[in-house]
Amino acid sequence: MTTQTITDIAARMDNGVKTYGEGDAAVHALNGATAEFGRGRFTAIMGPSGSGKSTMLHCLAGLDTLTSGAAYIGDVDLATLKDKDLTLLRRERVGFIFQSFNLIPTLDAQENIVLPLTIAGEKPDTDWYSQIIEILGISDRLDHLPAELSGGQQQRVAAARALVSKPAIIFADEPSGNLDSKSGAELLAFMRRAVKEFEQTIVMVTHDPNTAAYADRVIFLEDGVFVDEMHDPTPDAILDRLKQLGA
Amino acid sequence: MVRTAFKSVFAHKVRLLLTGVAIVLGVSLVAGTFIFTDTINAQFDSLLGEIYEGTDVSVRSAGGDFSAATEPFPASVYDDIIAVDGVMAADGGVSSVSAQVLDSDGNPIGGQGPPTLGFSWGDTEALNPIKIQDGNGRPPAGPGEIAIDLNSARNANLELGDMVTVVAFNGPEDFVLVGLTSFGDADSLLGATLISFELEEARSVFGYGDELTGIVVQAEAGVDAADLTAAIAEVLPEGVEAVTGETEQNEQAAEISEGLSFLSVGLLAFAGVSIFVGGFIIQNTFRIIIAQRTRELALLRALGATGRQVRSMVIIEALIVGVVGSVVGIAFGFLLALGIRALMNAVGLGLTQSGMVLLPRTVVIGMTVGVLLTVASSLLPARKASRIPPIAALREDASRTPRRSLHKRAVVGAAVTGTGVALLAIGLFLGVSNPLLYVALGAAIGFIGVSILAPLAARPLADIIGWPMPKLFGVSGQLAKENTKRQPRRTASTASALMVGVALVVFFSVFASSTKASVSETVFELFPADITFQSTNQTDPEVPAVISPEFADDLRMHEELEVVSAMQFGKAVVGGDEKLIAAVDPATIDQVFSLGASDGVVAALVEPETIIVSTSYLEDSGHDVGDTLTIEYLTTGTVDTTIVGVFEANDFSDFAISTDTYVANFRYEGDAVIFANTAEGVSVDEAQDAVAPTVASYGNVKAQTKSDIVTEAENQIDQALVLFTGLLLFAVIIAILGITNTLTLSVYERTQEIGLLRAVGMTRRQVRRMVRWEAVIVATFGALLGVGIGIVLGWAVVKALADEGLGAFSIPVGQVILALILAAGAGVLAAIWPARKAARMNILDAISTE
Repeated sequence: MTTQTITDIAARMDNGVKTYGEGDAAVHALNGATAEFGRGRFTAIMGPSGSGKSTMLHCLAGLDTLTSGAAYIGDVDLATLKDKDLTLLRRERVGFIFQSFNLIPTLDAQENIVLPLTIAGEKPDTDWYSQIIEILGISDRLDHLPAELSGGQQQRVAAARALVSKPAIIFADEPSGNLDSKSGAELLAFMRRAVKEFEQTIVMVTHDPNTAAYADRVIFLEDGVFVDEMHDPTPDAILDRLKQLGA
Repeated sequence: MVRTAFKSVFAHKVRLLLTGVAIVLGVSLVAGTFIFTDTINAQFDSLLGEIYEGTDVSVRSAGGDFSAATEPFPASVYDDIIAVDGVMAADGGVSSVSAQVLDSDGNPIGGQGPPTLGFSWGDTEALNPIKIQDGNGRPPAGPGEIAIDLNSARNANLELGDMVTVVAFNGPEDFVLVGLTSFGDADSLLGATLISFELEEARSVFGYGDELTGIVVQAEAGVDAADLTAAIAEVLPEGVEAVTGETEQNEQAAEISEGLSFLSVGLLAFAGVSIFVGGFIIQNTFRIIIAQRTRELALLRALGATGRQVRSMVIIEALIVGVVGSVVGIAFGFLLALGIRALMNAVGLGLTQSGMVLLPRTVVIGMTVGVLLTVASSLLPARKASRIPPIAALREDASRTPRRSLHKRAVVGAAVTGTGVALLAIGLFLGVSNPLLYVALGAAIGFIGVSILAPLAARPLADIIGWPMPKLFGVSGQLAKENTKRQPRRTASTASALMVGVALVVFFSVFASSTKASVSETVFELFPADITFQSTNQTDPEVPAVISPEFADDLRMHEELEVVSAMQFGKAVVGGDEKLIAAVDPATIDQVFSLGASDGVVAALVEPETIIVSTSYLEDSGHDVGDTLTIEYLTTGTVDTTIVGVFEANDFSDFAISTDTYVANFRYEGDAVIFANTAEGVSVDEAQDAVAPTVASYGNVKAQTKSDIVTEAENQIDQALVLFTGLLLFAVIIAILGITNTLTLSVYERTQEIGLLRAVGMTRRQVRRMVRWEAVIVATFGALLGVGIGIVLGWAVVKALADEGLGAFSIPVGQVILALILAAGAGVLAAIWPARKAARMNILDAISTE
């Protein structure tokens, strides 16, 4: 594992355990997982179904709580936060891109993009906002409701929303999972650009090697524990590694 | 399908619970009304059974066309009856309802709710339901003696040997309390004050001569009551009749249940409103549940179920919910009936705590109403369910049935609303025979019409109502506003339920406010008198209670008063119908009361057997001044009377005769109203102070200035308004539950969305706020529609009643604003549960799409 100084770590999980159910029916979605996510890096989490990759993302993002172990955003131990503070932390320091249902259907694209700021009662940074929508190519769709946007456009609006508050870290859960390959590629290329040009930190869960190859680094989970990682991955290398895990 | 339906009901039990509550409330009002009136009826029946237990034959004045006959007949009839073969015993007596008892400090005992009933003591124990138990003294046996029922005596802290005052025909008279009476085994006869005197004394107190008002007869063993009745009838003079005890008992029972049916019809009308409102809620719930189950229903279709089967399944679900809700509703009806009884007892009606009566009829009607309501409300949603295509199981967007065109909705809604308005207009302005039916039907159809149109107004109105919300409450307010606009039909339907209740409340407020405005106009116009004296008792809702004839004479002794003019009322049969006739003093009435007659018309009444009639009666009857009107009096029979003029003010009666003519043809027991003007230089206050001791000595007289009368009338109107509003509360509660229900279902539907909002940083508090303001917008929307309809309805009714003296139309702005604020507040309450649910939603459940 690459050693990094603490200030370079945007998020980390330390011996995380997440157990669902009790007794014989208990399922350990995470079973002592430890991982670090570097600042300004694009990291993909991979693993077979049931490996705990989504659970790790949820626990790191403060959407779910660990049974034991610790999850940190920056140097904040999420377990020490009450629901209200956790909510504020998500609002101020975390951005999300989900696989689907990213947008509030009653709000138009522009309102959706600035939603986290509106919730916080803040005004967006106009230059930054213009820059994002320019890059994402959605400036002519801003007054449209989600139902009037294509799937690719919807995900780009979601990406814009994740970026607009300049969060410390963006969590993406299969962001291109519902998109055709062209739209998916556009979205992922943009995410990569956000990391390279704006030093944004992104953590993404995916099961698709092609998608994961956009990341700087891939970590592999199996049965709820960290098993391996790969830097500057290629689709073929990831596929090979996954085959080994599956075997 | 039946099994699937059952499973579905259980699977959605929480969602159906609130629907069930709407049914329970509606049915409980219906069942409670029946249970209450049946229980009271049964209680009266057993009471009447007690009264008539020993009575085989009852002899009384022949009422002829009169509904209530308490006319005296010669005492000699008694001797003739005693001589009839088969008569074992007979008791003759007199009774009166025009007495008031005062304690030794001059405070009135009873008479302010349940009446005071005066009797002569009957010596035959088997024929007298009034008993004196051991240790409670003895029956009144001579002058100056009285017996009073235990309950009244206890309430007034009276003991044997105390002095009490009775104000009746001769004014205040003092008596010694010698006996405390029971009625059968009970201490009281439903809270009435019972006073008994020895026969001769009773005649004197109540103003009878050598007369009786009734004779009760006990037959010898083995003698048939009907045969004996026929035998007695043979010896009776004209104008006196004999009926079996059973007949009279049945007559009285019928009269009581008629009085009660008035109450039950009133309560059922309000139950009807609740059920109507419940229909909105149930239909809305089923529609939402079906929308949410689109995939499941489509899957059933894909697996081979026909549209008809899907429809049946929905209807069977409704049937199950309806049956369960109705059963629970009937059980709640029991509690409600207990509550009404407790309320009636609290105002002194003295109803016993006997068992409640549940007749099969109550169960049948309660179940029918509840089940029909639920099933009928599910028909449209069921039809919609049957049209879900199988492909909807696989594709989300396939379930969206094309929205019915706005144009079509507008046309249908306008047509239905128009039908309602037309029926209303017919009922209000065309003078049909049963206007209330037209008005009620018109209002109901009008409500449905407006609810069809309401979705068209939902978006613009939500924009207006919600306009300040984004500014005040940020993103929560904005989302709340947008959420109400998402499904205008759902919003409108939810709001419509509240609209009905609010519309009726506002209608009653407008009506009350207009009546109040007219009352002061009318009073100041009609009553030029400085002070008006009336009895505080009430014995008959149609005929005012009387004050002892001595009272007017006592007033004339006061030099502070200049004109003292008494008015009497009595019922007589005019042109085949029983009518209320007013009697006035032709010499003085013009100075104290405006009949609205031309000069000299009232003075013409001094001639015997003359009458003046209202202009409206003259028009309707086709008579002319100078014609002879045949009037049938209870005491004197048919009398040809000449119409000598007309008057305008028919607020009290269409007929006026002179007091002399009244005394000649009615049994004169006292005056109903006495008007007085103050003498020159004496202020109204001074005059009131001067007569106050006289007024107090009678115990049951109130002296009122013009503004007192207005205030009293206004208070009565306010009380009625409070009562009606209270009864409409059920409908409003159901409507509020409807908002809760819709919001709960909407929150459930928006699980992902709420999860997303929480994920991107919305606090629980902001989520709660969002749901709360949505509820407030929906509630305010419904209330605004209700206020609009209520005002229009009030205006129409006031216009229609303009002829009846309802001149002014007045909108109680304060009350209307209060109603709006309360409705918005109700929205906050309605949102508590769904807002909590939304705020507690697990974010992960919400955002995981699998």
